[in-house]
Amino acid sequence: MYLHIGVILLVMAAAYTAANRLKLSVELRMLSATLAGGITGAFFHTPPLMQLGRHMIEGSFTYLDVMLVFVTATIFIEIMATSGSVNFVVRGIVTTFFRVRMLALFLLMFVILIPGALTGAGSVSVLTVGAPCALALGYLGVSRGRSAAILFIIAGLSAAAPPVNIWAMIVSAGTAIPYVGFELPLGIPVLLLGTFTMLTLGWRQEQRLSLEQVLAEMPPVPEGMAWWRVALPFGVFFGLVVIGRVLPFTIPIMGLPLQFVLSAAVALAVSPGPINILTLSRDTVKKLTPLLATMAVVGAMQQVMTVTGVKGLISFAVISVPLIMLYALLVFIIPASEGVLTYGGAAIIGIPLVWFLDSRGLHATVVIAGLSLLWPLGDGLPPTALIGRLTMMVTEYRESYISFLKKTWIPWLAITLVGILMVIFSAKLAFLVEWSM
Amino acid sequence: MTRTAIYKMSLAAIFGLVSGIAGYQFYEHRHYQAPIIAGPGVTRVVKLHEYCPSLKGTPADTDVFFLEGAGDGGTVLLVANTHSNEPAARLTAEIFLENCTIQKGRLIVIPQFNNSGSRNTKPGDGYPLYFEIPTAWGKKKFRMGNRNASPLDSWPDPDVYIHYPDRSLLSYLDVRNTNRTWPGRPDGPLMERVCFAAMELIRNEQVDVAIDIHGAETMFPVTNCIVAPEKSSRIATMVQLMTQAMEGFTVNVYPSPQNFRGLSHREIGDYSNAMPFLLEAPIPFLDQPTGPKTEELLLTGRDPLLLSLARQGKLFVPYDEYGWPMKNRVGQHCSVILEIMNQLSQASPERAVVAENVPRYKDVLEHDVGYYYHNPATADPARVYPN
Repeated sequence: MYLHIGVILLVMAAAYTAANRLKLSVELRMLSATLAGGITGAFFHTPPLMQLGRHMIEGSFTYLDVMLVFVTATIFIEIMATSGSVNFVVRGIVTTFFRVRMLALFLLMFVILIPGALTGAGSVSVLTVGAPCALALGYLGVSRGRSAAILFIIAGLSAAAPPVNIWAMIVSAGTAIPYVGFELPLGIPVLLLGTFTMLTLGWRQEQRLSLEQVLAEMPPVPEGMAWWRVALPFGVFFGLVVIGRVLPFTIPIMGLPLQFVLSAAVALAVSPGPINILTLSRDTVKKLTPLLATMAVVGAMQQVMTVTGVKGLISFAVISVPLIMLYALLVFIIPASEGVLTYGGAAIIGIPLVWFLDSRGLHATVVIAGLSLLWPLGDGLPPTALIGRLTMMVTEYRESYISFLKKTWIPWLAITLVGILMVIFSAKLAFLVEWSM
Repeated sequence: MTRTAIYKMSLAAIFGLVSGIAGYQFYEHRHYQAPIIAGPGVTRVVKLHEYCPSLKGTPADTDVFFLEGAGDGGTVLLVANTHSNEPAARLTAEIFLENCTIQKGRLIVIPQFNNSGSRNTKPGDGYPLYFEIPTAWGKKKFRMGNRNASPLDSWPDPDVYIHYPDRSLLSYLDVRNTNRTWPGRPDGPLMERVCFAAMELIRNEQVDVAIDIHGAETMFPVTNCIVAPEKSSRIATMVQLMTQAMEGFTVNVYPSPQNFRGLSHREIGDYSNAMPFLLEAPIPFLDQPTGPKTEELLLTGRDPLLLSLARQGKLFVPYDEYGWPMKNRVGQHCSVILEIMNQLSQASPERAVVAENVPRYKDVLEHDVGYYYHNPATADPARVYPN
């Protein structure tokens, strides 16, 4: 059995490498590996050939709920950005706190955190608020390289932040551990590490501009934009979430996608200028297609790897490592799995890992939270380097990718340390889960 | 037509073909009926919606079989396939339905508790759609279902499932999990209605003992056991001792946690006079570090990766080259259920439930599971219930 699973694994790796050489996109690379693995598996009747298509299609539905949240949340955020709300908030922060620089940095951190926290995707933070926030960081005297590093790290933390953490959702769903009680185990480290990042990377003021100069250079805010127009859509969203929690037996179940759609409708209605919702939706989905395709392919890959035994073999390898060595390896394995498989790493390595650590007496929810801090780091690692590349694009950082990554090393180290310590001392941190509930 | 257009159309055609074949396979799976034969002990069959009218006409409605003895006594309820990816439960329930006769008291069996879940698959986990049990007259084919009800029948999910009435927060998926939605309510989400109907049945039929049959991974600490709340713990302990002494297998007893809500072993006891028991038998197929997820693994429970982990001391059950075959799991369930009835009868003779013609552990090991199933083709059609 080891041999035939090993052969399938090698074929998958070879297909991935070949697709990489052909410069195919990451989702097509993963699809190539999945197809190759499935076809090779069919030679061993794992799965039977006539079931291979079914497994591919079935697997691609694994994260359908997450994908729906992704689309509707991003449309909501895009409406907010298009209406000028984001520029309005950034301008407001810079104007009000220009002379209290650290407070301005702190508030900008929240602006970057919110879209990713709501959608579970750091890329949404980068795409929607990344450019104006990078500009604002520049006006506050932060160099372009450090601004890019801040955006990358905070966007990664935003994806890990509650309420929507896709890595935690994937692992929770796969391990039958409730996706609840994550608010404090995720929220506290995200805020602390975010603040630490802002302090370490944003402390040094490399250029000084006057407020007038800054305001003249900032993107304009549409006429009629006001704080209530920004607050109302978010108020509706959080209101719907809260009312569902307060009156769960009275209010019909809406689900996150519908809640985002209703909030988007309100955002559209209160926008000071007209927004072509059809064009915006089309463009948003177009922009999201690579990510949605990644989610679908990750699900298909997970299913094919499971039915062929490859996932089991990887799980076995991870679980067989002595515990102390496993902790050390997590520093590399977790980000690397994200760099190669994007969210697939959570499914293929995260699920068995959490099962194993749970059975060793660690607290599964805190373990998942700790690992969730490490996964976003992998979004800066090749071959995908999804968020890293996006960040360089929106901040217009022109130097080498390695030089960009080097600028992130201090917060990277801090995040790694906190994540691993949360895993190791998860049982002692269980009170955070209890307090969240 | 450009080369790119031809390329795109070809890909679309291949995708359409693969999706079409897969769609047909899913449709077949959802609508496949595995016959249940009502044996000589079955006196009547009703629908679960009789205890909760809002279930009528929904895909969650399911058959409830009554086996009533001539003598007065207590009432035992067997609930199977709460999780339809733990199929030893339904196989055990069908052995009782096809063979058992009741001398005293009553036995009520719900062989397909989460009917919607049994017609659902589990994306990402690569299950086979069906499995077959060899019998003397051929193979009996069953659907392999999912832990949760189908989103086709219960959707959308909430962002967080808030348990009724305790308000505990549970995963959004648990709104479709009939071992998280007890005790339920008549106008709640579909699976809450299923559990409410079962609670009404338990209360109205004055059920003394409710047994919920499950399976659990070998790497999960709560496996190969009976989970029992305080009110059931004495009988559970006696069952553990008796089966170990008399039948040569060991099941552990775990207390039902008081703060983990929505589970049958907690809520049935709290919301009725019945004593609940949840039975877990090991199911290696559900473990993560296994080889390919095949029908053979499901039926034999034999896997070299698990064997290696067992040697490293990383499993919670004894495990060797023999694996954990289906007959061991089903036989264990049969004996534990019979022993619970026996202990109930000894503790409260006025509530005794005396069952006959049900094989015990050693019988099932000797003959295998399929030996106890009858041929639906030759059975009285009026006694065959497609499910």
